[in-house]
Amino acid sequence: MLTVLFYIGLLLLFFGAVAPAIFFRGGKNQRRLSLALMAISASLLFVFASDVIYENQEVSMTVYRILPSFYFSFFIDRLSAFFILTISVVSFGVAIYSTQYIEYHKNDIRNNILVFLMGLFILSMLLVVSSANTFSFLFFWETMSLTSFLLVMFAYENEETRKAGIFYFIMTQLSGVFLFTGFFMLYLSSGSFDISAASIDPAIMAPVFLCLFLGFSIKAGVVPFHKWLPYAHPASPSNISALMSGVMIKVAVYGLMRFVIFVLEPQLWWGVLILVAGTLSAILGIIYAMKEHDIKRLLAFSSIENIGIIMIGFGLYIIFSLNNLEDLAMLSLLGALFHTLNHAIFKSLLFLTAGSVVNATGIRNIEYMGGLIHRMPKTALLFFIGAASISALPPLNGFVGELLIFQSMMQSHYLTDTLMQVLVIICLAVFALTSALAAACFVKAFGTVFLALPRSQKVEKANEVGMHMLLGPSVLAASCIFLGLSATWLFSKAGYYPQIPDMGVLGAIMAAAFLAIFGIVWVVSSHRTRDVETWRCGIRRGDGWFEYTATGFSQPIMNIFRSVYRTREDYRRTFFDRSSVIFRDGRAEIHLLNFFEVYIYLPIAGFISRVAMVMYRLHNGKLDTYLYYTFITIIILLVSMRWLA
Amino acid sequence: MNLSFIAYCFINIIFAALVSPFFMGIVKKVKALAQGRMGPPLMQQYYNLLKLFRKEALYSTDSSWVTRVAPYVNITVIATAALCVPLVFIPEAAYGISNVIVFLYLLATARFFMALSGLDAGSAFGGMGSSREMSISSVIEPVTIVVFAALAFIFNTLNLHEMFRESAGQVHLFDPSLVLISIPLFIVLIVETARIPVDNPETHLELTMIHEAMMIEYSGRDLALMDLSHAMKQTLLMAVLINIIFPWGIATEMGVAGIISAAAGFLLKGAALSAFIGLFESSLAKMRFFLVPNLIMIAFFLSALAILLEVFR
Repeated sequence: MLTVLFYIGLLLLFFGAVAPAIFFRGGKNQRRLSLALMAISASLLFVFASDVIYENQEVSMTVYRILPSFYFSFFIDRLSAFFILTISVVSFGVAIYSTQYIEYHKNDIRNNILVFLMGLFILSMLLVVSSANTFSFLFFWETMSLTSFLLVMFAYENEETRKAGIFYFIMTQLSGVFLFTGFFMLYLSSGSFDISAASIDPAIMAPVFLCLFLGFSIKAGVVPFHKWLPYAHPASPSNISALMSGVMIKVAVYGLMRFVIFVLEPQLWWGVLILVAGTLSAILGIIYAMKEHDIKRLLAFSSIENIGIIMIGFGLYIIFSLNNLEDLAMLSLLGALFHTLNHAIFKSLLFLTAGSVVNATGIRNIEYMGGLIHRMPKTALLFFIGAASISALPPLNGFVGELLIFQSMMQSHYLTDTLMQVLVIICLAVFALTSALAAACFVKAFGTVFLALPRSQKVEKANEVGMHMLLGPSVLAASCIFLGLSATWLFSKAGYYPQIPDMGVLGAIMAAAFLAIFGIVWVVSSHRTRDVETWRCGIRRGDGWFEYTATGFSQPIMNIFRSVYRTREDYRRTFFDRSSVIFRDGRAEIHLLNFFEVYIYLPIAGFISRVAMVMYRLHNGKLDTYLYYTFITIIILLVSMRWLA
Repeated sequence: MNLSFIAYCFINIIFAALVSPFFMGIVKKVKALAQGRMGPPLMQQYYNLLKLFRKEALYSTDSSWVTRVAPYVNITVIATAALCVPLVFIPEAAYGISNVIVFLYLLATARFFMALSGLDAGSAFGGMGSSREMSISSVIEPVTIVVFAALAFIFNTLNLHEMFRESAGQVHLFDPSLVLISIPLFIVLIVETARIPVDNPETHLELTMIHEAMMIEYSGRDLALMDLSHAMKQTLLMAVLINIIFPWGIATEMGVAGIISAAAGFLLKGAALSAFIGLFESSLAKMRFFLVPNLIMIAFFLSALAILLEVFR
């Protein structure tokens, strides 16, 4: 019924995107119009998606036929609509934020290109999640990869950005190759491109799953395929990081869910694989985030953690549903999906506010920040809501997602297989550690960026950002609070009744208790206050370096988990005397070994470049050599065809 | 929301707030006696709170709203957490508020705000406290979750009220798995309430301090609220231990006589546990900070063992 909204939304988005590409010399107002169109289209799609979710409808349409079996067709059910909803909420906030954010660059043409690519990027993500066949899925998937690659390369003059862009491009193409292989095997077996439960040969089920799992994990940033995230996010503009981390990696989650639930028949070991991969991503992601000082890289590592949490929920869903525990399976899938939406919202909120901070100060290293709560109070409050939400503080939305997953894990004693129970308990313990470390990490992030005294002059001179850059994140922050308080109600409206506390009642009790206690203290206690200086051991008005920095804050955790960080410490000391008592001089070095890069990525890259060198020798650039190659190829083909037939 | 639930809210929160300083006083008294001192009178904690409420509050010029809001948020979330742990009687229904995860995350919320307030004034001591508190709390979190998961396995519910109701109705004197769980639960109690061997609640301006360091910039009513919420948190964790190991005496329905006798019973049991905590603290030395994870590993092994017992039963 509301399908027309979907079309109108997509059209508006398309016009919004294409206008700056046609009138590429247009100014600020034209870009504002484009972004406004995107925001309007996001709200239309939001209405459409919530209607599909709450009315439990299914919409399908064939749009364009290129060749007999290659056509674009779309199918939207609850799962797709849920991801459309996620994309629309985030892109609404990002579009409003971008109206001001992109104007920091004074180059009209480049800004127009940015708006154009951003529109196309959002459009392609929307079309991936509504694709009904693998052909259109892959087409829009590649569009999404390409536009996001170009967006990462926005500041291409920077050497680091170019490196990050190329790295991202290679990883994303690798993901594409795996997906293509998986889809091709599916096509060979079922004879159609449709994404539906066709009769698939059980023998190819496992290889297809592995291909799709690899492809989607690379895009989602599951450990050990996560390396592109911490490179690509700091390099790209903040509104793009928000979109990439908030929604693009969720599109990969959508893909995995769609194919595993609706197309393939899951096996128990798939669930175990997803659960273990998720747990590893969660814990390693947050441990790496803890040591990070670049605010955007910290957020990128935290995205890896959250993708891990979503994967934990999804893995549990498979395990529970194969054990016929419908309630628990529903609980964990609900947790995974709700955490997907939550993470999309609070991570884009954090990236946007981090972008405001980076723009206002000109630096990304939190070691040199501090004291911004006095200079950018509104941004600080918005970042705080995001940080509280991602640390799963009740009654915000981040808490509800983790609550659902914790609950399903703590009821694992309904599983009949004892080994499986033990596995789930180990994952539970690791997940608890992850969740507590996430809180520590965001205490560090908020504390060192916003609290205490500034630690550099640039930060001292920072000013609050403009209205639109506050309005966009405000929408997201409001959704964090709303989703938390109304979670129970929203689930029951959608027809799910998980056994969770009534979040509305919890929020009401907390609010009432807060007001009551505030009132009592107000009546009972003295109202006198006095402003004093912080005690700094006698140093008057010390500079900001006197306080705890990010390095200092994370040092105990770095020490406790030092085996994970793979640091190597070298001490070289010389002494005046033989019994090593009187110290002459010495050096101390701490090397941080990049485990995944040194042991996985570089060996593979080295192998590929060696193969490429061999191939390179075959190319001498002469026509007759190539004709000779062609001739040999044809002979081999003929012989092998003959032999095979 | 029915009337009995609202009555439960008021009774439980107010009772917890009233008895908490008393238990703190007992711990202090026992420790003093063990050291051969007289120690402060048992009611001294109440006098301290009253004195602090009447004094002026000092704020560093470098601090922000975080410092001003944190004491209120802290006491609020601890009061809300008090609803999860019935001290005198177990209400009929509680809208699922008594979920174990809700309880643990309410405590985590208090910690989050406390750690931020430690960083807020820009003092090196506050930051040190926050950093250590967050590190220790991260490492203890798996133990806490696994302990409560073990309880969930044993009682087959995630609802603390139902757990306590079931354990109150038990006929055996001591269930072996529950005894096993009580050890890690006690370690969690020690770690969460910042006691020896993890932290030393007696010292100020020592490099060993964790919890006290975060409070260092607080004064007046804010300090009173922080102290009260810390004492209440200790009472709640003690109540979890008491309700599981020695639940007899708690009222399972509302009634004046039942509530009064249960309150007296809880006061006695709490006093005994506080005295034990005092003796425990007196008999140990403070651990080096980086040795604390070893203590926590012991707790983790014991709690995991309790779960494995249940799994392979």
